[in-house]
Amino acid sequence: MKLTFIPAMQATWIGVLVAVGVVAATKPAAAHNPIFTPGPHVVYGGGLEATVGYSRNRASGAGERETEQEVELEFEYGLTADWTAEIELPFVDKDLNDSGSSGLGDIVLRSRYRFLRLDTPGLQRSAAVLGQVKLPTGDDGRTPRLGSGSTDFVGGLLYGHESRRWYYNLAARYRLNTVGGGGLEKGDKQFLDIVGGVRPVLTGYLEPDAVVFLELNWENAGRDTLNGADIAATGGWELFLSPGIFATYRNVALRTGIQIPIAHGLNGTQPESDYRFKFEIKYTF
Amino acid sequence: MIKFPQRTGLILGLMLFAATAAFADSHVYKLYVDGLACPFCAYGVEKKVGGLDGVEKVEIEIEDGLVAVTLADGATLDEATAKQAVDEAGFTLRKFEAPKK
Repeated sequence: MKLTFIPAMQATWIGVLVAVGVVAATKPAAAHNPIFTPGPHVVYGGGLEATVGYSRNRASGAGERETEQEVELEFEYGLTADWTAEIELPFVDKDLNDSGSSGLGDIVLRSRYRFLRLDTPGLQRSAAVLGQVKLPTGDDGRTPRLGSGSTDFVGGLLYGHESRRWYYNLAARYRLNTVGGGGLEKGDKQFLDIVGGVRPVLTGYLEPDAVVFLELNWENAGRDTLNGADIAATGGWELFLSPGIFATYRNVALRTGIQIPIAHGLNGTQPESDYRFKFEIKYTF
Repeated sequence: MIKFPQRTGLILGLMLFAATAAFADSHVYKLYVDGLACPFCAYGVEKKVGGLDGVEKVEIEIEDGLVAVTLADGATLDEATAKQAVDEAGFTLRKFEAPKK
């Protein structure tokens, strides 16, 4: 199983190199958004930001143990100074009770529109709306499934406060799931996020810079249905405490963080999240 | 004690330095930018303002929200152009200072 994952990673790096070559003449990009909470910052008109990310999630319980690794390639392009188009290409490796599968996951198309920007000396407050579509590109016939087999939609409202020292973010999102492979429909999901961040050392331009974030992420899912009938041991809520760091040097950024579950109210007996880890490298052209 | 040739050399050196500084200042525009909080964000300002015609150098002091723009000989920058570049970078131009002639 691991061997099949390696070509996917190689493909990702090849993709990055190709992308770098293709967009060598393009323009600059975004700012600090938290690690697990979508932020209101957008790439401006003509700007391009490329991201390579790795994430690893594990859930266990009820006799199951599921590990999901993902290498993700993401591009964000500025249609205007306040409106972006984004695409996320995930290569997924899943392991469920020692049965594994890997390959292309569900591709995500996303757009953000920043409708508010209040600038004062050393401080920017902004708000944006988020729209997202997840396409059923992952193979849902494999075990474990690489995709949901459904086309799902996310809408959200994002707020950010970014000063020299302190950062605050708020986000609220709703995910509308549709019927996927085999008549399974995952329950709709709501997300609420609260974030605080601090820049311990106030650095100047062309100096390495770091912001430390602490996020509180709440997720609530409705019950899944199979051919219209509720599945009892599905859905419920989970609360995560998520420390992370956003380190930058000029136009290169590293973001990493881990989501640690601190409370939950899941329906019935079902696997619970153990952790979710994420690491990303961003390059702004 | 400084002898005559040394003194002359020192004076000439100071005059040359002053002339150079004056020449440099005559090409430096100061943009005071609101919303600038982090170095990573400042890269956008560097690229957008640095991409304007005639711009040779862009220096940024985040703490003061100051973007110093050095132009080539004969090039000029007007406030509207600077404001648009800063806006496209995702920030707001608060004050524009052209070099004194």
